Amino acid sequence: MRFLIVDDSSTMRRIIINTLNKLGYEDVTEAGNGREGLDRLGGGAVDIIITDWNMPEMTGIEFVRSVRGSSVTKDIPVLMVTTNAAKDDIVEALKVGVNSYVVKPFTPETMREKIEAVLSR
Amino acid sequence: MEPQFLTELSDATREVFRTMVFREVTEGARTGRTAVQPGANVVATVAFAGKTSGLVAVYTAFEAANEITAAMLGIEPAEVDGELPDAIGELANMIAGSFRTRMAAVSGETWAISVPTVIVGRDFYTKYVSDVQRVVCPFQMGPHEVLVELIVTRRNEQ
Repeated sequence: MRFLIVDDSSTMRRIIINTLNKLGYEDVTEAGNGREGLDRLGGGAVDIIITDWNMPEMTGIEFVRSVRGSSVTKDIPVLMVTTNAAKDDIVEALKVGVNSYVVKPFTPETMREKIEAVLSR
Repeated sequence: MEPQFLTELSDATREVFRTMVFREVTEGARTGRTAVQPGANVVATVAFAGKTSGLVAVYTAFEAANEITAAMLGIEPAEVDGELPDAIGELANMIAGSFRTRMAAVSGETWAISVPTVIVGRDFYTKYVSDVQRVVCPFQMGPHEVLVELIVTRRNEQ
């Protein structure tokens, strides 16, 4: 299972990688913002994307919109990990194509459930 | 200050420490200090704005900040190498974000929050010139004190 993590916080990227490693996932690529994330996606060789919302250069929402707009990447499952957890935020994220939502702070169990849920769709 | 604010901030702080720092913290007596001089040396702030506006600030000594950083990253304190500002900023971001979410659930208000700002230094005070409500919540993490401060201004109803 190949993951792409897009987050401007190196701390949060490390926390997510540590969490994925605990869950048995080892193949992880990182990007510091949405634009870098699109570069890393390249030919679409990623099975699941985990992205932050608030980032410089290109926000998570803009990033997901671009992912969904490409015929190569449009079907890749996307999990959004963010503190933006108000109802309006979640509606906006789902509208642009986010498959599911992890609210910070989170536990490994929550991350496992969300990953399994988006992969089973 | 409304007790609900402090209850939600306290719960948010404990949850973030338990799930992301892997440390339990205990809360001491809250104070309404008008100026805070951190024993040392790391201050992270996240502002929020809406019908209610204000600031969440986290104060720690350098040693505590280093331990928090190491715990978040899953490394030893001696291995921390430049990651401290980002980690403490993310800590404040999660506390403020969780506080915002909790307050939205109880009050229906949705606030925007800022990106975190982190200051590392010594011998400085933080003071606010405008008329604000200010409460400092002291938490104990093992031998270390971590102060979480809430500053609130409410917009007058028109």
